[in-house]
Amino acid sequence: MMIFPGFLFLVALGMLFHWIDRKLIARFEGRIGPPWYQPLADTIKLFAKEDILPIGTNEAFALLLPLTSFATVLTAGYYIFSAFLTSSTSFEGDFIMIVFLLSLPSLLFFLGGWTTSGVYSILGGNRSLLQYFSYEVLFLVTLSGASIASGSWSLQGIRAAQESGLPFVIPQFVGFLLAMAGLIGKLKRSPYDIPKAKSEMIVGPLTEYSGKKLAMWKLTDYVQTVAGIALLVQCYFSGLWTTYSPVGIFTSILLMLGLQFALSVISAIFTRLRIDQLIDLNWRLFIPLSLLQNILIIIL
Amino acid sequence: MSRVTIPIGPQHPLLKEPLSFNITLEGENVIDSVLRLGYVHRGIEKLAQSRSFVQNITLFERVCGICSHIHTTTYCQAVEGLLGLEVPRRGVYIRMLLCELERIHSHLLWLGVLAKNIGLNTVFMYAWRDREIVLDLMEEISGGRVSHAINTIGGVRKDLNQDQMKKLTVGLDELIGRVKDLLRIVKNDRSFKARTRGIGFLSQEDVRRYCVVGPVARASGVGIDLRKDAPYAYYDELSFNVVTMNEGDVWARAMVRIHETTEAIRLCQQMVEKLPSGEISATMKRKVPAGEFISRSEAPRGEVIYFVKSDGSQTPARVKVRTPTLTALITLPQQLRGLQMADVSAVVAGVDLCIACADR
Repeated sequence: MMIFPGFLFLVALGMLFHWIDRKLIARFEGRIGPPWYQPLADTIKLFAKEDILPIGTNEAFALLLPLTSFATVLTAGYYIFSAFLTSSTSFEGDFIMIVFLLSLPSLLFFLGGWTTSGVYSILGGNRSLLQYFSYEVLFLVTLSGASIASGSWSLQGIRAAQESGLPFVIPQFVGFLLAMAGLIGKLKRSPYDIPKAKSEMIVGPLTEYSGKKLAMWKLTDYVQTVAGIALLVQCYFSGLWTTYSPVGIFTSILLMLGLQFALSVISAIFTRLRIDQLIDLNWRLFIPLSLLQNILIIIL
Repeated sequence: MSRVTIPIGPQHPLLKEPLSFNITLEGENVIDSVLRLGYVHRGIEKLAQSRSFVQNITLFERVCGICSHIHTTTYCQAVEGLLGLEVPRRGVYIRMLLCELERIHSHLLWLGVLAKNIGLNTVFMYAWRDREIVLDLMEEISGGRVSHAINTIGGVRKDLNQDQMKKLTVGLDELIGRVKDLLRIVKNDRSFKARTRGIGFLSQEDVRRYCVVGPVARASGVGIDLRKDAPYAYYDELSFNVVTMNEGDVWARAMVRIHETTEAIRLCQQMVEKLPSGEISATMKRKVPAGEFISRSEAPRGEVIYFVKSDGSQTPARVKVRTPTLTALITLPQQLRGLQMADVSAVVAGVDLCIACADR
């Protein structure tokens, strides 16, 4: 439980994927990129650093926020990754719980900015909240397409429906793309990295964080990335090839790497969107599309 | 909605040099901005009065960290004017060659900064990687990547040999292809255009009212370029186009600068071809006669003016430098008004600020 799919496994996998991401982007940009232990070294260094907060910050709260958000993504990761191996952890409704758990860190991220009371933190936090309402809705609505098609609110049910039929990526290809967009928003990656826009907001809500607390936020990010990717693999790419066997695990890892590759390509080729462009895009195009898809699924 | 004032600078990831803005925001919209300058004032003009004419070359090389060569060139032209010194053709050509290489370097650097500020790191890395080629060429010629120390009163200090000419030809050919790729991105990439079109607008009247010069003016349809309008050195012997656009926004500035880079590469190729033989410098008389001289030249950012006054002593009585950045800086509050916070970074990058030049 501690090793797989617990804390150590999730953090190690998160760091691995983070490294792959950085390495890929570096190669796209014509750079060499960091060595494989870079995320680990960064984390160790951050944990050893002095922890400074601005005067007037509620210290307990500032510590609680990154801890809570780390805990929520670990819990979500635990449920998502156990579903790769066994059906025993799955229960009806766990799918909704996972999506909820994955959306909590963004809220906590906003609060994290609010509590440290720097001007960049607060503005960055406001932006993340503005963004939150567009991509969270998109993510939930799109993913519910998978669960409507399978007639089940559990990960197990979604997997089972795909194993007996086609993987959902084929009938719901648009849905998959929209879910990717939602995931990018959730992870605040480029082009959805508006709250952390370096050239305006420094790092947004995280500006005033340092040391262990910043490390927690970073770990949240690492684990959230792999959990999100794994969730998409389960919802859209499951099938006979991802059943509980060594081959199944191997193909699942390959699929996850493929999604990570897509994420890296996307962040390398797009500029950061402006907040109005993002909200326009999400509410005028993406969310209507995903609603339309859900309606089609229900009708057909 | 309540207003927030956020400080940008003197230290901020957006700015590479110390400058301070206080931006008042209402929500995401910029209501007002207050500029403050002077963080890198080094008193160079005053210092110049206590150094000899030759020593001052080193000093003026340090006015700007990017276009160092154009400053020494303009200063040397002024002193040569006072002396009535005829500079050998070959010397002037080598000077011009470095000026144009510097323009390529400056414009590529600028494109990288703009791309970085709108969150397009890939183009930032590409532009700066391609800039390495031109930096290597400049190092090959002068021994310095940024500060060349090649100008002297009466000509240049280092000659070009056949080997260096060959390297120049190869390097410039490669650069042409690279710049073409960058042009394709700027011209066609939709996400790049989404972040740069229609922001930071300056009309032709604005340009004239604020006396804006250089690529920013040319992007608003004002085709001023000293190399054509008042040719100094031997620019009248070479063929090149003055690039203008009419959009007047950040995207137009990007287009103008990239086209100018191509033009600068063409100029360099012509100069390598036409490079005259002979001496590279004339001997300077020790004593500079009393008088005044104004020397002007087209730096990567626009017109640079040096006013040099001599009273017949060892040191200049007054040197006044006017750099193009200042004119662009004062337009910023107008450009920023009504924009969104996210556009601030693109607009600030768009005018290509060189604070070290402006403060001196």
